[in-house]
Order: sequence, then structure tokens, then C-alpha cells
Amino acid sequence: MTSDRSSSTGEMNSDEFKSVDLQLQSSSSHRSISSNTWRAGSIKEVGVIELGSKGGVPYGSRKGGSSSMSMSRREIRDEDSRLVYVNDSVKTNESFEFAGNSVRTSKYSVLTFLPRNLFEQFHRVAYVYFLIIAILNQLPQLAVFGRFASILPLSMVLLVTAVKDGYEDWRRHRSDRIENNRLASVLVNNVFEQKKWKDIQVGEIIKFSANETIPCDLVLLSTSDPTGVAYIQTINLDGESNLKTRYAKQETLGTHGVENISGVIKCEKPNRNIYGFLGTMEVDQKQVSLGPSNIVLRGCVLKNTSWAVGVVVYTGMETKVMLNNSGAQSKRSHLESRMNKEIILLSFFLVALCSIVSICAGVWLRRHRDELDIMPFYRRKDYSGEDEDNYKYYGWGLEIFFTFLMSVIVFQIMIPIALYISMELVRLGQAYFMIRDDHMYDESTDSRFQCRALNVNEDLGQIKYVFSDKTGTLTENKMEFQYASIFGIDYNGEKTEFYGEEGGYYAQVDGLILRPKMKVHVDMELLQLLKTGNDANKHIYDFFLALASCNTIVPILVDTSNPAEKLIDYQGESPDEQALVYAAAAYGFMLIERTSGHIVIDILGDRQRFNVLGMHEFDSDRKRMSVILRCPDSTVKVIVKGADTTMFNVIDKSKNTDVVTETESHLHAYSSVGLRTLVMGMKGLSSHEFEQWRSSYEAATNALMGRARLLRKVAINLETNLSILGASGIEDKLQEGVPEAIESLRMANIKVWVLTGDKQETAISIGYSSKLLTSKMTQIIINNNSTESCRRSLEEALIISRKAITSGENASLLALIIDGTSLVYILDSELEEQLFELASKCAVVLCCRVAPLQKAGIVMLIKKRTDDLTLAIGDGANDVSMIQKADVGIGISGQEGRQAVMASDFAMAQFRFLVPLLLVHGHWNYQRMGYMILYNFYRNAVFVLVLFWYVLYTAFTLSTAINEWSSVLYSVIYTSVPTIVVGILDKDLSRTSLLKYPQLYGSGQKQESYNSTLFWLTIADTLWQSIVAFFIPLLAYWKTDIDGPSIGDLWTLAVVFLVNLHLAMDVTTWTWIIHASIWGSIVATIICVIIIDVIPILPGYWAIFHLAGDGLFWVCLIGIIIASLIPRLVLKTLVQHYRPSDIQIAGEAEKFGDLMESRSAEIEMNQPQR
Amino acid sequence: MNNATPPTNSTSAEPPDSSSPRRNSKRPKYSRFTQQELPACKPILTPRWVISAFMLVTIVFVPIGLASLFASRDVVEIVNRYDEYCAPSGSRSDKVRFIQSDADKTCNRTLTVPKHMKRPIYVYYQLDNFYQNHRRYVKSRSDQQLRNRNDENDTSTCKPEDTVNGTTIVPCGLVAWSMFNDTFSFSTNNNVQLPITKRGISWKSDRDHKFGKDVFPKNFQNGSLIGGAHLNESIPLSAQEDLIVWMRTAALPTFRKLYGKIEMDLRAGDTINVIMQNNYNTYSFNGKKKLVLSTASWLGGKNNFIGIAYLAVGGLCFVLAMTFTIIYLVKPRRLGDPSYLSWNRSPGGH
Repeated sequence: MTSDRSSSTGEMNSDEFKSVDLQLQSSSSHRSISSNTWRAGSIKEVGVIELGSKGGVPYGSRKGGSSSMSMSRREIRDEDSRLVYVNDSVKTNESFEFAGNSVRTSKYSVLTFLPRNLFEQFHRVAYVYFLIIAILNQLPQLAVFGRFASILPLSMVLLVTAVKDGYEDWRRHRSDRIENNRLASVLVNNVFEQKKWKDIQVGEIIKFSANETIPCDLVLLSTSDPTGVAYIQTINLDGESNLKTRYAKQETLGTHGVENISGVIKCEKPNRNIYGFLGTMEVDQKQVSLGPSNIVLRGCVLKNTSWAVGVVVYTGMETKVMLNNSGAQSKRSHLESRMNKEIILLSFFLVALCSIVSICAGVWLRRHRDELDIMPFYRRKDYSGEDEDNYKYYGWGLEIFFTFLMSVIVFQIMIPIALYISMELVRLGQAYFMIRDDHMYDESTDSRFQCRALNVNEDLGQIKYVFSDKTGTLTENKMEFQYASIFGIDYNGEKTEFYGEEGGYYAQVDGLILRPKMKVHVDMELLQLLKTGNDANKHIYDFFLALASCNTIVPILVDTSNPAEKLIDYQGESPDEQALVYAAAAYGFMLIERTSGHIVIDILGDRQRFNVLGMHEFDSDRKRMSVILRCPDSTVKVIVKGADTTMFNVIDKSKNTDVVTETESHLHAYSSVGLRTLVMGMKGLSSHEFEQWRSSYEAATNALMGRARLLRKVAINLETNLSILGASGIEDKLQEGVPEAIESLRMANIKVWVLTGDKQETAISIGYSSKLLTSKMTQIIINNNSTESCRRSLEEALIISRKAITSGENASLLALIIDGTSLVYILDSELEEQLFELASKCAVVLCCRVAPLQKAGIVMLIKKRTDDLTLAIGDGANDVSMIQKADVGIGISGQEGRQAVMASDFAMAQFRFLVPLLLVHGHWNYQRMGYMILYNFYRNAVFVLVLFWYVLYTAFTLSTAINEWSSVLYSVIYTSVPTIVVGILDKDLSRTSLLKYPQLYGSGQKQESYNSTLFWLTIADTLWQSIVAFFIPLLAYWKTDIDGPSIGDLWTLAVVFLVNLHLAMDVTTWTWIIHASIWGSIVATIICVIIIDVIPILPGYWAIFHLAGDGLFWVCLIGIIIASLIPRLVLKTLVQHYRPSDIQIAGEAEKFGDLMESRSAEIEMNQPQR
Repeated sequence: MNNATPPTNSTSAEPPDSSSPRRNSKRPKYSRFTQQELPACKPILTPRWVISAFMLVTIVFVPIGLASLFASRDVVEIVNRYDEYCAPSGSRSDKVRFIQSDADKTCNRTLTVPKHMKRPIYVYYQLDNFYQNHRRYVKSRSDQQLRNRNDENDTSTCKPEDTVNGTTIVPCGLVAWSMFNDTFSFSTNNNVQLPITKRGISWKSDRDHKFGKDVFPKNFQNGSLIGGAHLNESIPLSAQEDLIVWMRTAALPTFRKLYGKIEMDLRAGDTINVIMQNNYNTYSFNGKKKLVLSTASWLGGKNNFIGIAYLAVGGLCFVLAMTFTIIYLVKPRRLGDPSYLSWNRSPGGH
């Protein structure tokens, strides 16, 4: 066994990973501890038990040994602990008032709403900028806009956001109220009474029954099961749907009636670790240690256990589920970070404009310094007072400074701060469409696409690397037993369709018919062999016995429509085990009952009871598990199941050499067709051996220090000299559409890397079946055990790859397969660089046997060295770190827990949805967002420049011809809606074209919609358009009696028309909504301008009507629009003609291609007739 | 004892018998909107479209340009700068001293009519280098006060020309204070007085709604510094048309304001004597004063800019239309031809 610090590998490993919560401390302890609790019923009298009888067995010799262990117990320091007096909440809360059980997910109360919401909103830089500008404007020296006009935009944004936040919070309040007012039965004065959840206090005893949700974190005291077992479902906690077992301590079981229990629990302070708990309980002067298997957490549901009683240790916000209730950390999209750079550039422009204005103003003041006193339009002197002093004149230097600040106020929208808000709205709209997309809805799980983060929508259009998990992501993670190799004979005959409603194996118990819930294909030959039941079939018998018994599966009976028939649902943590048990059931070895002390298996119609004497659970070092059974014939058997690599080490090869070699070859064959393999072994124990094992096992289970290590040692000692039973091949079915999806992604020039915990052969075979690998590819395989050998193979591989490229062979035919052990030596060392070089030359990279953190390491390998965007997709807890590290993280909301989904930015049900997500929505999102950003820059800058040019003709005094209300409404009403609508709705290409030509995705990867060339072109265009828009009226109305507000209206309308028509020119898909928004904005602008001009107290009263009666106005307006747009149209036409982009050609093909195709089709149709 | 648990293979809470129709399916409701398949028009820049667009611009712009040029040509305009002439020659400070003194400021000018001028002939005064759009200036007025007698004391925006000796000035503010006060009277060379209409030179909307009929000038030009014209305190503001014209502050530093209209034709070669009172001080800031007599066309005054601009744009579009025609003829590109797709062009791609 290689010393593999990357945690476990092997067949069962991928499942093992799934239960590891990466954010928390390693949880390896929880399994070993739970194995300890089998002790409850593990060491027991060996009695011949009447077959077919249920229950009524005297359980467990209760040992009082735990108090003697107290010395070795890890003490919790007093200051880090909380003391809970069982059934005495008053005393518990005496010294320290623990939080009540009411939860508050809402952020605000009526009183705190305003200050807190404002405080939170002003965390955004944009709002702070708005605020500073508004405050500056309030200073009398700087008042450019009226008080109200200046705070209108900010207050509108604040109001909208506050209403949104308020509504969300109101909904949270409502759900909190519902949650807090749920009822639970609490022990009050020795009687269980209904009490609202929010009134539950630490120290109280609560009773809850099956299918009830648990209101707070409890230490189990007793359950309906005599051994104190309770099954819980943790779907709300970690999303895993299978049942988990929790145990009440024997010491508390013993007391008859929970009312009499009294004791003190000393436990940790509340923390977030849902897999950890440390505490002690003092009952009857005995110290009992408590672990994570003794507590049930808020949000779990009790299943399969009629009742349970527990004492409250953590309540309300201190429960583990609430402590874990923090949102996902936010990522920032690539486009947005690029945009921020350009915004910095724009702020330099702003400073430049302001500097020009203030310097010119300074020069002007200097040149006219002698005239200012009486100059009619300045008149510095104030004669109204007694003494003649200056009116609003603060000296030359200060005037320049004030001019600078005022110009910042006037030109503020040069920084398109509203863009951030528009972007949020656009992303919201895009998310709406992604969620509603019928093509990303999965019928089998009835789940839609989910957008969990709104910041990275547009990144979906620029992905270059996809890192995919295998199990559950590429494959369904619905395991199906396919092949069996039993004692050297391979049973892989034709599978018969033998699992219809009428067929399949069933068992009869107490007049009930029990059927396994899932039907399995069976091998008829094998079934026949079993039925004939001669001696040679002993191996087959043992093999299926091993399948049925060596597991941790819990059978659960499910009602069917037929009252006489029940289905058995096998619940367990490992889908492999489920598959094996279902298979065993199909062949007549039906596991029908499991308690902590025994299992009942219906063997070909014969109910047999096996006492489970002990169990060594799976761990990642041994990569196998074993169970010690006392068979009905009183013999003791050890049955072991595990990964082939470790199993062959413990199998006595001398016994059946040829069987072992046969099995090995079968295993190889299985894994090469992509099956997950497991090997079973068995041996009998003599009573001497059994006693020896039993004493060491007991010692180990009772140990409080290093219990896991001791147990492992016991297991290793036990699991030796096994005789081989056989091996199983389980198919991990590929999800629907995976090969096609991978093909599409590859066509789109996206590199798909598969990172899996599976072993190399399995990974390669899945690679073949998913079309990731093809037979034409040259495979470079790296699996080494040392830095040196890794270096050597990397160097060799690099030579091969260089040769492949120089020899003219297509580099896309290289595939790199690397395993986790090698990665241990490569990642975080100087070899990383070589690996990157090699990997970037390969079309396909398969990483097998990788640990969760290595997955993140591989993502970082790419992220650190390139600007290319990465996407990680996975379904399990083992993918969390990679999902968080990648630019875009996608969780598969399928079989496994919800942890991947919780950590992800997007969640979907099927891998194949990646194709519409990236190629269609990603493409659209990117195009839309990229265009919208550039357009917003343009839109604001053109307006600012028009203002700026005018300032040059006002003696640099920042007066504006354009009404201040129009200035304010410009970005709020006049031009805002079309940008957002186009940002949400415009489609450059149809879905069909995008899927037909995945290569079109390249436009996002090559940043075709947003780059610095486009930025500078936009700025140049802006400059031209602003010059045209400003100077045509200026020159036309020079030396006329035009008044300020009139020409201001002309500029307002000209700019708004221009900006909207500019947008109209770039829209590719005109739906009625876009029509309505663009033309609607123009109409709205006209209406607003008219409204402003009918207010008599504004200087511009009636200006627009006078203006519109003037021919020159119309001539100017049309001239401005045409002259401004000509350069853009010319450039666009030339580019489209000489360097047409793929998108454009595809768009043309969409419009004209059909004609051509139908024409050619017509010709073809006509030909045969001739 | 076993309470039936629903199958928990899938995370969704679907009922165990999947045969029953799912009532609460999360399947998105199909609509063309949510699937982004709304009927749409997709315009594409085809050669024909581009060329016809440019041609259309040419066809529209060239006639308009020509029409504007003709209109501008037909406008007869007499511009006479009189500020230099009507002040004693010398340094600027001399002129300032002159204009501030009590000396007689009458001044005679003779204008010759170059072409026949049809009535109405607009009489403007033109000020150069006068920033009526200066920030200090445009804000220095109170529209409330002008409109409504009751808002007489609403003068906060008028500083420093808001009160004099503690009493409110109506109309307040720098704009009114600096009102133009040169006067002109016209006669032909045979000393026939040319009547000049000063009624209706302001906007009707201003007279009716912006300037109050019950608001009378008060304390106007009573301060120590006289800015310009005095107002008759017995005439309401709504009838003070010169003030109304002046209060429509000009957009640009070179501007004209209507002084009156001559409702008579003037023949070519006529000489007109202008007797003017040169009261207004533009010398202090190097401003120029001009007297302008002009007829009007549909486009306003004499200005060739629009005509030239339109001809230029029209001409440019014609050139562009021709250029694109040639380009499309010489090097045509079949629209939507997949062989132009980048991966079809570059052999390296897949």
C-alpha cells in the first residue's frame, strides 16, 4: 500500500469523500466513533435464536466501564464549555442566560431597518460616490443643482434597493415566525407538554416522534429502540438523503422513564462543525463521553424510529445549522474586473475635464481680474450692505478649487455609477431566463436550473477550462450491479429482462410480500445454479451472503398501493453498497431487517438471523470493511469487502492460486469497461481466535484516546488470510447526453478535465465511454511515487508532446492521465510549471485518485498561470473546494448532498445542461453584458462631453444650458430602460445556430465583445458624436436670439435621440419589447422635456414649443443624428465586409441560409423526378 | 413500526407513486418570452441596404442643404458696430469713464440698404463677449417674484442685487439689473421717421404666464451702481417687453436680442439714419455692440452653416454610396457563407 497522504482512493473512496466536509475539520472521526457505538449490542450472549421471530431479544450486556475511562478523556476546559443540567433549565440558565430557541434569519426590525439598510447599502463604492457628490452639491459654494434634483438619483436607487431588501426581509420574518411558532413536546413537571419552538430552553427535555423536524440541537437520551438507536435524515443539513444512525447512551437508557434522568452535560461552546461534538455527561456519578453520534441537530428529521427523547444543548441561533447559515462568498466576474480598469481610465478623463475647466476658469478670472467688480454678468462687488465687500468670491485660488469640485458634480455621470445598478438588473433578468429555460429543466428530479450567485453570469461566456468531477457529474451515481466473478468464474451472461412487476424475487413475512424497491438485471445461469442448491454452490451462497451482510445498509419498508405488499428500500451511505444489496436481494438473499445487534436475511425463502458481533467500518487507509457474524449454525465468520488493491494483500493466495489469478483478470476486464469493482473475502473464526479478537475489540472500542487507531489495528489483525469469494462489477451509468455534451464543449474549444477519485482504469474507461478519450489519442500516463520519478516522466512526456507538435501531428490528440499520488509530488513544487506546460499541450487531462484539495490545486494550477476562465462542476462535498476556487462553480443538484450546490454559483440537474448554459446563455450573457458596459460608457460620456463643450462657452463657469432636471433624468429615465432591456433581451444569434456551431463560443474566449480596442473605438466615437451634437446647434444658432433653455432642449433631445438610435443601430433582434423600450424612451423624453417646459417658474418656460415651431430646430436635429452616426455605420459596414466575425456570418446564415438550403433541397427533390 | 418513508433517491419531494400526475411540477411554464423566442425582426447590413441608406441621406440632405443656402442668401442683413464709433477714441478707461459720466450719449449712424428688404424687418442689438450664460448671472433672478406679486420677497437667489436699503428690488437679480438700455430711432434720408414696433417682440407665453400683470417694478436701479435700463414703475412687468426679452438669457456669449420690428419694406440703396443713445456699458469688459437689421427666412437669419453642413453630409454620403457600390462589385462576399467562418478558413482549427 502506498503511503498516500492524499486521503483515500479506491472504489469506495469517492463515496467516502462525499461525506467529508471540506470546510470543516476532517471528519474522519465520525465514522470510527460510530463504529464504537455498535458496542451497544455487539458483545452479547450467543444464543441460538429462533428463526423468524422478531424482536424480544435481550440486548447488550451493559458495561459500566466507561467511568474508568474518564481519566484518559480529553478534558474540555471550563471556560470553553457550557454546562447543561438535564431537565433543569432554570439551573442551566442561572449562571449564564443561553439564547432562546427562536431564530432570526431576518436582518432588520422596524426600528433598525432604516439605519442598518442604509449602512449596508453604503458598503457599495458606487453609492458612496453618489453620496459624496450629493453632499458636495449641498455646500452653498458648490450648489450646481438644486437641493432636490441633486439627491434624486441617489435617493431613488436607495429607495428601490430598500424596498427590495425590505420585501425580502419581510418574507424572512414571516418564515421565522412560522418556524418559531411550531410546536414541540417538552417535559414540564414530568409531563410532556406542547410548547412553541421559540420557548424551548437549554436543559429541557424534548420528545419527538417519527417524521418530526428537530427544533434544536439535542443530546439523545433514549429512543423507541431498546438499544437507543435513532435514524435521522439530514437532508436539510447537508442534503444527503440517506438515513444516518444516532445513538443514545446506555447510561441514560437505563433509567426508567425520562423524568428521572438528571445529570450534567459539559460540552463545547456552540460551533459550526456539524460533524463534530465533544462533551461529557455525568449520570449517576458516572462520566459518560458524548460524541457526534450522540447528538441530533436542528433541521434533521427523525425517521424509522417511533420516538426519541433528548436534552437540549444548543438553541436558536447557536444551533449548528444556524451557525452554518452564512451565504456563499461572492466572486467577481472577469468582465467586471476588466470594466473596473476602464472605469479608472474614465475617472482620469473626468479629472482631465475638470482640470481643463478649472485651469481655464482660473486664467479667465486672472485676465479679467480688474473688471470683475462691475462686470454686468459677474459683479463681484456687493453694494447692498453697509460696507462694499465681495459677493461669493473667495479669492483666485479657492475659486479654481471650487470650480474643480463643481465640475466634478456637473460631470459626475462620466463615471457610469448607475451602470452597477443596471448590471445588477441585467443579471437578474439573465438569471430569470436561465432559470426559466425549458432546456435546462430536468424532468426526472423535477428541478430547474438555479442561479445562486448573480455576479458571474457573463463569465459563462468566456470559459476555457471545465473541471469536472466524475461520479455523480458525468455519471448518474446510480450504481447497478452488473457482473459477478464468483470463485474464479465470471458470470456475465446475457442479462435477461427479468425485473418486471410480476417478476423479481420477493419474500413473504407474516403474510406480507416484500419486494426490493429497485429491480436488478439478473444472470439466469447464476440464478439457476443457486436454485439447484448443490454443494458446489457453496461459494455462490457465501458470495451473496457477503453481499447481503457485509454493509451498513438499513432496510426500510415502504407501503405500496397493495396493503399486502411492501417494498424494501435500502438506505445507506454508499451507493455501491446499495447496489450490492439490491443485487443480493434479486438473487434471493434479501436483507429484511437490521438492528444494532443482528440482521435478518431471507435466504431463498428461509429467514435466517445473523448476530452482528462486530463491524470494522470502511476507512480510507484499509479501503475495506469487515463484519463479524455469528451464523445461525453458531459458527463465527468474518466477511470482508474492499478495494482490490488492498484485498489481495490480505487474501491467502496460497489457497486458491488459480482462483485469485482468474479473479484478477476478471477485475481487470471489469474496470476496463468502466465498472467499479469490489472484492469479497471470508474466513471462519475459531472460538479461540474469536475470543482473542473480542477482547482486543472491546478494549479498542472502550478506549477514549486514539480509538480509531486502535480499532484499525484490531481490524488489520483480523483481516488476514482470507479466502477469496469473488468480485463484483458495478456499473456507474453515464448521465444522459454526456458524450454529446463533451463533444460540443470540445468543439467550442473548451478543455474538459476530469478530476476523479476513481482509479486509473475506471477513469480511462469512463473517459472512453464519454468520448473524452478516443482511440486515436496518444495517452501520456503519469503515476509515480517520488519527486524524482515524477520529474523524469514529466520531462519524457514533454518531449513526446513537443515531438507530436513538431511532427505536424495534431496536438489535440494527446491525452494526459495523471494520478493523485503523482500530483502530491508535483503540485506546490517546482514541477508545477512543467505539468502546466504539458497539460496545456494536451487536449484531454484525466486526473484520477485525486483528493478534494488536489482538485482545488489543479484549478489553481490553471488560474495562477493564465487569464483563462475556469469552471468547476461537481456534485459532492469533495468538489466544494474546487467549485469555490474556480471562476465559475456549478453544483449538480442530484443524488448526493447539497454541499456542492450550496457552495456553487449555479446549480443544475444534469451535466449535459452545461452545453446550453455555456454555449447559449453564457454566450448571450457575455455579448449582452459586454455591449451594455461599452454602451453605458458611451451614453454617459457623450452627455458629459456635450456639457463640457458648453462650459467652454460660458466663461468656464459650469452653467448648463440643459435643464438640471434633464441632467438628472438623463440616466434615470431618458436612456436607462433600453440599455437594460437590450442587456437582457438582445440576441446576437439564435439558440439553434449557437448549438449548431459550438465554435461560435470562441467569441467570448477571445473577448470579442469587450476589449481595449473596442473601448478606445467607443471613446473616439463618443468624442465625434458629442462634437457633432454640440457644434451643429452652436454654429447654427450663433449670433441669434436663442436663449439658453431652448438650445438646451435641443441638445437634450439631440443627445437622447442619438443615444437611443445608436443603440437601435446595434440591436440585432428586434422584438416588440425592444421596440417599445427604445421608442418608448424617446417618447418619454419628449414628454419629460415638455413637462419641464410648462412649469412657469423655470426659466425655460415654453421653450420647447417655440423651438419646435422653428425650422432650424428640426434641421439641426436631423443633421446631428445623421452626421453623428455615419462614421459608426461606415466602420461597421467595412468591418463586416472585410473582416466578418463568425457571429455575423452565422447571423447572416440564419437569415439567408435557410433560403439557400431550401433552394438546394428543392433541386435535390426535383432531380429524381427527371 | 416502520413508518413509510418516501423514496429518497432524489432530493425532490415527489410523491412515491410517480404515476400520479405531478401537480407541483417545477417545470418552467413554456412561453415564447421565457424561452427567448419572441418573434423578432433581425435587420442585417446587406450591401443593398447600406447603399440605399447612403443614397437616401444624399437625396434628403442635398435639397435641404441647397434650400437652406438659398434661404440664407435671400436674407438681407445690415450689421453695424457702433460701440467704437459712439465713444471717444482713446484708451478703454477713457471710454469707461465716458459711459459712466453724465455726458450726452447721442450718436448718429447712417446705414445703407444693400438689397431690397421685405417687411417685417427685425431690429436686433447684438452683444459680443457678453456672458449672459455665466453661472453667477443666469442664476441671479427670481422667477417667482417676476410672476407673482405675493412672492415679492422671494429674492434669495438674487443676491447681491436683492434689496436696497433693506427694501426688496423688483425685478431683482443681476439679469434685470444689467438690462440693455441703448435706444435706437430710425429715419430715412428724407427725414421720414421709420416707425418701429416694440409690441410683440417677446414671447407671448412669457407675457401671459411668466411675468405678472400685477407685478410692478419697485426700487429698481436705486442702488449705488446702476447696471442699465430703468423701468417705468407704473407699467406691470408683463408689459415691459424689453425686460422680458432681456430676461430670456442668451445661450451663447455672442447673441442678438430683438429690439423691435420695422413694418415697412426698405429699398436697395436707401440710407437710414439711426439716432441712438449709447448708454450701455460694454467697454468695461471689452464687449462689442452692434445694431442689426435683418429680414427672416424659414430658417431664421443669415447663416450659411446649415446649408454647407447639409451639402457636405449629403455629398459625403453620395461618395460613400459610390465607394460601397464599387467595393461590393469588386470584392463581393456571399452573405452567410459558412466557408468564411474562422474555423473553416484556418486549417489549424478543428
